[in-house]
Amino acid sequence: MAEDSGLPNVPVPEAEIAPKRRLPISVVWFIPLLAALAGVGVAVQQYLAEGPAIQISFRSGEGVEAGKTTIKYKDIEIGQVTGVRLSEDYTRILVTAKMEKSVEKLLGSDAKFWIVKPRVTLSGISGIGTLLSGNFIRFEPGTSRVPGREFTGLETPPAVTQDLPGREYRLRADTLGSLGVGSPVYYRRLSVGQVISSALAPDGRSVEIRIFLNAPYDKFVSSGTRFWEASGVDVTAGVDGFTVQTESFLSLVIGGIAFETPPSLEGYHPVPDNAVFLLAADRTAALSPQEGEADPYALHFDEQLRGLSVGAPVNFMGLQVGEVTGIRLEFDPATESVGTRVDIVAFPYRFLRDMKKAGPYAKKELPPGKRRELMQRQVVGKGLRAQLRSGSLLSGQLYVALDYFPDAPQAMIDWSGKPPRFPTVPGETTVLRATLSSILAKIDNVPITEIGKETKEAIASLDRTLRLLEGETLPEAKKSFATLDRTLSRVDSEIVPEARKALEELRRASAAAERALKDADEMLLAPDAAGRQELLDALRETARAAQAVRLLADSLERNPSAVIRGRKPEKPR
Amino acid sequence: MTRPPPTAALAGFVSCGTCGLLCRPAEAGKPGECPRCGEPLAFRLPESIERTWAYVVAAAVCYLPANLLPVMTTTTIKATTESTILSGVIHFYTTGSWFLALIVLVASVIIPLGKLGALAYLLVTVMRRSTGRPLERARLFRMLKAIGRWSMLDVFVVMFVVALVRFEPFMSVVPGPGVPFFAAVVILTILAADAFDPRLIWDPAGKTGGTGG
Ligand SMILES: [Zn+2]
Repeated sequence: MAEDSGLPNVPVPEAEIAPKRRLPISVVWFIPLLAALAGVGVAVQQYLAEGPAIQISFRSGEGVEAGKTTIKYKDIEIGQVTGVRLSEDYTRILVTAKMEKSVEKLLGSDAKFWIVKPRVTLSGISGIGTLLSGNFIRFEPGTSRVPGREFTGLETPPAVTQDLPGREYRLRADTLGSLGVGSPVYYRRLSVGQVISSALAPDGRSVEIRIFLNAPYDKFVSSGTRFWEASGVDVTAGVDGFTVQTESFLSLVIGGIAFETPPSLEGYHPVPDNAVFLLAADRTAALSPQEGEADPYALHFDEQLRGLSVGAPVNFMGLQVGEVTGIRLEFDPATESVGTRVDIVAFPYRFLRDMKKAGPYAKKELPPGKRRELMQRQVVGKGLRAQLRSGSLLSGQLYVALDYFPDAPQAMIDWSGKPPRFPTVPGETTVLRATLSSILAKIDNVPITEIGKETKEAIASLDRTLRLLEGETLPEAKKSFATLDRTLSRVDSEIVPEARKALEELRRASAAAERALKDADEMLLAPDAAGRQELLDALRETARAAQAVRLLADSLERNPSAVIRGRKPEKPR
Repeated sequence: MTRPPPTAALAGFVSCGTCGLLCRPAEAGKPGECPRCGEPLAFRLPESIERTWAYVVAAAVCYLPANLLPVMTTTTIKATTESTILSGVIHFYTTGSWFLALIVLVASVIIPLGKLGALAYLLVTVMRRSTGRPLERARLFRMLKAIGRWSMLDVFVVMFVVALVRFEPFMSVVPGPGVPFFAAVVILTILAADAFDPRLIWDPAGKTGGTGG
């Protein structure tokens, strides 16, 4: 090699010969290859892990924010909201979300989504985590196999999640009462389910309440099961004092439903999901025989309706079979007079049910024609009539009684009326009133003044006689024994008939009074009524006076000389 | 052209890259091994251009996922946020911290990109045996070597944050898949700068025949 390069001529060591080993391509190219592989690998992984994007529409997007709001299932995050916007018609909120790949199979077209916000109800606080984390969207998988990508969010969370075993039933009630979503359902005071929704029936006449019973309690519901509203307290006054009954303190506050199957109805066939039951107002009503359909009737009474109110019971043999639904005046064009009309509903099944031979609930419905026929037969054949009766003499409350009056004049149910007109008989009060006034008339007729006058006259004449005896006869008698006979004959002929007459009058008066009293006794007058006592006393007094007069008269009659000589042992005249 | 300045190669010597011993090459094509430490001798770094290219390509490949993939997954009670380098920059910028945004943008986006560009420029000019501006190119190379080790800034920041922010369950930060790619970009550019032989910048200036094979 060249050594004239100007370097000082120092000994430069010679390099050693190394064996040559070279690859056709540099190993270093593996590095970009590796990087590319890693990059592609991550990209593929990202792509594969990419879950489906879905869209949910809500009425309001309260607390939903893109990039922040998550979608949770069983409290695990399974997706995230990526965008929130208004729908094209500005009525709804469209939420787009990216779901995790793992839940793709759960996204059936009937999956449910709802926004969870803190809810404080009396039955508890839910969604408390949202106070810290903000609202989130909860997801509930559907059962559908058809995958869905666009969903309509629920406005209220479903009370029962799908993975909870149990059954749903529907209850029909007049009013919702104090029930609400989440109100408990009790079975033997055990909370076994809850109200999941309530809605007005399509016809607006009742409220439909959906309840969910957790398994295994749902199996205690059969066709004989009765439901009643367990809200509030049931205070019953019985022979052993007051009984206070309530399902639980909670049901007092938030309402509740209880159910029971009366022992007599146990063993009836099971009911399908979503079976409809009536919701009774309380346990007594629920467990009393069920009405079936209610028939309206109109009753026309020719009497005072004071004391009768809407809601008053219609009783049959003391058991309630219906109630008064209306009281009003009605103009009768035929007689051109205004009369009263009482509308009632009667539950004919309460007394018709046992007439058919079928089991009480085996076949609930009688055809209307058959029902009418049965009722008409009761009215025509047995004399079934409606009557106003006094429930209590104290309050004067009236009720309508259905009863058999075999002696009542023939009548029929007038089916042409709307509602049908049911025959009536005059009420007990009318009869009572009539009897009372006849008693008063009788008492009026008793000639008390005349009796008094006659007695006075009789006594005056007696007095006169006595005075005559004293002033005239005695001196005469003293003078002449002979005139005694004449005097005596005068007493005989003048005083005795006079006294007898007075006596007769008295006897008649007291008999009349006694009769009046006897009548009054029969007519249910209270035995301790003040007026009666006075009357009785007066009459007794009169009778006693009359008796005294009679004794005197008797004595005079038998022994007229006693007037002159005083009483002597009797001897034949 | 004037007489080129003498270099070891021109003088027919080769210097050991490890112990610095100046040797006479065993043959013109094959310099052989250092007689003192046994290191294979070379007039220039072996396969410098090819290896530098490989590193540059690898870094460029990693640059894409490093910027597209999230580098940080922040989980708070409220939400889980994945942030990439660029979303971080945008976040800083929109929240008013434009200075921080600038730092992150420069350190994480512009500098790695600049390094790749600079390396590619050096390689292209060397391959074309360009003689223009060798001094500037040498300065550029020195700069590449100097900033190399400081480019790990992002990875550092992420690791610090991950280590510090652990208030579970209220908040936690987890490194994202972008971090290894980002680290790879930094490391590969450092390796590329190491693999590049700056003497090649000067070689075309002299008619050297001793550049080996
Ligand atoms: Zn050496």
